[in-house]
Amino acid sequence: MTIGTGPSKLIEASGLGKVYMRGNEEVIALRDGHLSVSQGEFIVIIGPSGGGKSTLLHLLGGIDRPTQGELHVNGVDLVAASDAALTRFRRDNIGFVFQFYNLLPSLNALDNVILPLLARGLGWKASRQLGSAMLEQVGLAHRQKHTPGQLSGGEQQRVAIARAMVLEPCVILADEPTGDLDSASAKSIIALMLDLNQRLGVTCIVATHNLDLLKVAGRAYQLVDGLLNMLPAG
Amino acid sequence: MLAVGYFTFRDLLHDRWRSLLTIISLAVIVVGYLLLTSLAQALVTLSRQAQVTNNLLILAADTIDPMDSSIDEGVLQTAMEIAPDQIQLAFPILFRHLTIDGQLMQVRSVALEEMSTSLALTLVQGNWPGGPRQVVVSEGAAELASWKIGSTVNIYGTDFQVTGLVRTEENAFGCVWMTYTEGQHLFGTSRGFQVGYLSLVPLADPESVRARLLADPRISAAYSVYLEHAFTNSYNQSNSNLLALSGLMVLISLLVVTFGIYNATSLSLTERSLEIGLLQVIGFTLNKLRSFLLVRTLVLTLTAYSLGWLISLVFINHQRLHASVDLIFRALRLTPFSSLLGLGLAVIFAFLGVWLATRRLTGLNPLTGSD
Repeated sequence: MTIGTGPSKLIEASGLGKVYMRGNEEVIALRDGHLSVSQGEFIVIIGPSGGGKSTLLHLLGGIDRPTQGELHVNGVDLVAASDAALTRFRRDNIGFVFQFYNLLPSLNALDNVILPLLARGLGWKASRQLGSAMLEQVGLAHRQKHTPGQLSGGEQQRVAIARAMVLEPCVILADEPTGDLDSASAKSIIALMLDLNQRLGVTCIVATHNLDLLKVAGRAYQLVDGLLNMLPAG
Repeated sequence: MLAVGYFTFRDLLHDRWRSLLTIISLAVIVVGYLLLTSLAQALVTLSRQAQVTNNLLILAADTIDPMDSSIDEGVLQTAMEIAPDQIQLAFPILFRHLTIDGQLMQVRSVALEEMSTSLALTLVQGNWPGGPRQVVVSEGAAELASWKIGSTVNIYGTDFQVTGLVRTEENAFGCVWMTYTEGQHLFGTSRGFQVGYLSLVPLADPESVRARLLADPRISAAYSVYLEHAFTNSYNQSNSNLLALSGLMVLISLLVVTFGIYNATSLSLTERSLEIGLLQVIGFTLNKLRSFLLVRTLVLTLTAYSLGWLISLVFINHQRLHASVDLIFRALRLTPFSSLLGLGLAVIFAFLGVWLATRRLTGLNPLTGSD
């Protein structure tokens, strides 16, 4: 079953499956997943822990490879791509946001944000200017020199979003972005992601337990025991 | 490059305690390597083989230390009578171990003219003894006791003046040489002399001369006859065990510096596998990550090596200046070759540690490390 329609498909996945080996035992993390996503959509995936949400995001982001099926993101065949090609794909197309922010503790907010720019080979000065502008967009212009340890959870997640957005990716993949935040911070992060989605047209795919996100999602899916199903609108 | 240097600095500074511990652990490895190689070189120096000569030594039977030997004057004449065609010269040597200026030394007394001829001492500085209460000392002795030309040396309660420094290939122990007459004045004549030195004619076969001497009961009843180099080697404990030990030490020191550095580097990267994974997810290629990790590792390794080298230098110099009878410590040297070899190996194996540790990341999920 193919879910989703639209004129230009950013993500095309069909028959997507992922099987892990745990010792001698096969663990099916995802089975026969079909997904079609257009540019600018805001998609939410809910489901219990261990249901396969992170696995799906890792596959869509080129962090991991499917064991079956076909997967194209922004025209790149992620099944056939080499490791080096996957690295370039991630750098140029994907912004990742994680539950625990995954900021480098030794670097301040600005340094964390400019990492993808340096990975792409941008100069030091230009990187810092772009990074500074991005931090301003997420409301942290005054916290640039602060290290993650000096920032609140909500602020750290804003830095992580700035880092994900700084290269203007076509897709933001967010894995439980509000999972480690209090409700006020969670609402502010959701608002920020929606704003970036609507203002900049970036496609967002968010895996979450937070049902509040269903209210703002363009489309929503449930992923249970490796099976991906679209939830009815509303 | 600016970015790599900046992030390396921030990273090392942020984890300053872990960085410090890494540097200390690497420095300990470096000190271990440098001390082991120095010790191995010292063993080689001390166990240097005496040159093969065709001279013979007579000592009292069953003595291991020449100092315990006591020989009558008539023995040398007897030896000359047994092989007159083979022995061109025979002379006595007085031999003692004494503590002089706090250092264990050998004191040898021999006729002045034999020092530079039969015994092949080379005068490297100053003059041969030219009058009473004068001695020459070996370079090793001068270094041990900080003696110079003109220094006064108290031996057995009598002051002597150092007139020259001599070099001998025989051994590295500290040795003081005085004339036979001075030795007799100092030690008396009641114990006779300790070593009879038989200089053979150029084409003589020392083994057959030795056999002829031992076949005569006047010699074999109370004395032993040795080939000079064999006895010297035996006395210096310069045997294959010492050389094998020094070889083993070099091997161990190389293993210490190579696997030690490799292991420390590899472990420090394994501890950071999640951060490395995150950087891969963000888009850093393996080569870019390697360049950052190599710079970081190089900074740690070079700092640790400098620290370890400095500690070794201070320790070795302290031992050379202050160790007393432990001659092995006196012979320790920190040579440019071993220092540079260690540095080269440390850098190579640090790089290898980074390269292999990052190579393991290829094909894995950067975040979970699973394949």
